[in-house]
Amino acid sequence: MQSIPGAFGRGATALALVAASLLLAAAPARAQLRLDITQGVRDAVPIAVVPFGGQAEGAATDVAAVIANDLRMSGRFAPLERRDMVARPTAGADIRYEDWRLLKSDFIVVGRVEPDGVSFELHNVRTGASLLVQRLPSSEKGLRATAHRIADLVFERLTGLPGAFSTRIAYVAVDGRPPAQRYRLIVADADGYNPRTTLESREPIMSPAWSPDGQNLAYVSFEGKASAIYVQRLATGERRRVSARAGINGAPAWSPDGRKLALTLSRDGNLDIYTLELATQTLTRVTADDAIDTEAEWSRDGQSLYFTSDRAGNAQVYRVALDQARQAERVTFTNGYNARPRLSPDGKELAMITLDRGGYRVAVMDLASRNLRVLTSSRQDDSPSFAPNGALVIYATREGGRGSLATASSDGAFQQRLSSDQGDVRDPAWQPFAPRG
Amino acid sequence: MSGFLQEHLRPLAGAAGLHLALVGLLALAALRWTSSQPPVELAIQGYVVEAPVTSRPAASSRAAPPAEAARPPEPVAEPPQERRAEEAAAAERAAELQRERRQAEERVAQEREAQLTREKAAADQRKAEAAEAKHKADAEARRKADAEAQRQKVEAAEVRRKSEAKAQAERDAKAQSDREAELQRALAAEEEGAAVARSGVMDEYRSLLVQTIERNWIRPPSARAGLQCTLYVTQAPGGTVVDVKLGACNGDQVVRESITTAVYKSSPLPAPRDPRVFERRLEIVFKPTE
Repeated sequence: MQSIPGAFGRGATALALVAASLLLAAAPARAQLRLDITQGVRDAVPIAVVPFGGQAEGAATDVAAVIANDLRMSGRFAPLERRDMVARPTAGADIRYEDWRLLKSDFIVVGRVEPDGVSFELHNVRTGASLLVQRLPSSEKGLRATAHRIADLVFERLTGLPGAFSTRIAYVAVDGRPPAQRYRLIVADADGYNPRTTLESREPIMSPAWSPDGQNLAYVSFEGKASAIYVQRLATGERRRVSARAGINGAPAWSPDGRKLALTLSRDGNLDIYTLELATQTLTRVTADDAIDTEAEWSRDGQSLYFTSDRAGNAQVYRVALDQARQAERVTFTNGYNARPRLSPDGKELAMITLDRGGYRVAVMDLASRNLRVLTSSRQDDSPSFAPNGALVIYATREGGRGSLATASSDGAFQQRLSSDQGDVRDPAWQPFAPRG
Repeated sequence: MSGFLQEHLRPLAGAAGLHLALVGLLALAALRWTSSQPPVELAIQGYVVEAPVTSRPAASSRAAPPAEAARPPEPVAEPPQERRAEEAAAAERAAELQRERRQAEERVAQEREAQLTREKAAADQRKAEAAEAKHKADAEARRKADAEAQRQKVEAAEVRRKSEAKAQAERDAKAQSDREAELQRALAAEEEGAAVARSGVMDEYRSLLVQTIERNWIRPPSARAGLQCTLYVTQAPGGTVVDVKLGACNGDQVVRESITTAVYKSSPLPAPRDPRVFERRLEIVFKPTE
């Protein structure tokens, strides 16, 4: 008798097990809540850059401070204040993620300076994932450059954009009062450190422009009492005058292949755009309009030029194909003043100065949609120039008769003033990336 | 009735006994009585036993004496004067006869007395027996009746019990099914109401989750319109994110990093107002609009 209920019991148990396993198997497919995320925020990413080991407090180059500052200046990161750090790990194994979660950091950079290099790690505090573990060889003297390189790697790993912290900027600084003014062409690190004077003059220096390979600068100098265009090789300081034609020689711009300059000349009585082949000194007129045409910028394919013209009564940006030079088309329509076009590295956007609600401000226009977004809210901006990764635009801004440099993220979310002790500064130009390979 | 019978039993029985003794009526009566007895037995004994002994013999013995008592005055009606001698002889004979008759009557009376006594004794005996029998029968009948009654009572009780049990079972079953139906209705109603209520709570829960994750998702530059990445997220009952798995995703490494970070950063995820709508498994689709 007992075997029957026993057998039944076993059968029932088996049945229950089958039912349970069916339920378990069915559960994931059934019980699931679907969420659609259609937007995010543009907030700066919170990151902790912990002071690197192997460095005494107050060392000449505080590697972590350089990295944190780079990331902060990019506008895309919000580095944790050092005083809020509860721990100072210098290797990934020492990181207690909970500590940094409590401090609301998403990522953490730790590392240490060694006699002949710097090792560092990037971790995701939220997921606990190790994202970068590297060692860069570095001399004591090169620590700052190494720090910028680490910032580049972190930036690229977290934004997908190459970091531009190892690039440089060129600008013009003006000291003194007329008639005892002193003009200097300065090349500095992207964070403003290590300013080096490339050229010094008692006469105005204007419109520095980087060659595509980042090795040469073209600029306008009045050193001969009249404007002339020079090309200078930075590594050697060697320079040559490429245009000193009658009248105005201005606004040089390099062709993408680096073989030509677009110029503004008044040799035919009116300011027009020309191209100059550097090797052959072949000059080609591009525009021939009664109005002022100036501030040329090459398209990425080198087949056309963007430029500023007041042919419609006020300054607007136009585009002209080099093989159809007489048929320029107007590009900007939004505001009463649009000038100084500068193309983004990907060629899809055009930075310019626009007259927006009474102020001359930096704006970026999407060439496909023609939408213009204003990045700044200042009164007197000038000379926008894209960072080589397209993330930032550097520009000059005047306040109280004194010029300074500032950056704005190209989406308009952040603006940052660059500190400078070089007095009145203007005409910034961001160095392009060195060609790879 | 029985009091009346007992009171008149003696004279009646005397008349009857005289008659019976002479003409054997008693025998006949007894024969009739005995022959009539068996069928009576089928009837209820307690009553049948009494009836033949008392009423029937009494009825026949009462009818007999008046017939004999009416006859003696007849000889008194003949006054034969001329025949004095004859008459004297006759008177003598008559006296003789009278004497004899008286003697006979006395004998009869004595016998009757004895008979009566005997009969009375017999009757008493019978009566006692009958009473005894009756008593026994009564007792038996009572016992049987009692037993029967008891049996019937028990049976009836059993039947009642059974029928009551059956009725109760039916009532219980009905009540049970009613309860179940009611419960089912209530459940269905509750389910429906709850479903309606829950859908509101669910919508609220969903938007709460979406808002939290959107607030925590720092969109990298490469997260443009056209991006579509799915994360399969498991949360513990307290909302703690315990697992994130990447499903289909057309975004780059940076995008994947950013969405996973956003989900972990949102941990613990907000709880629904009604814990019943809590869902352990979430399918989160990142598809930004420009």
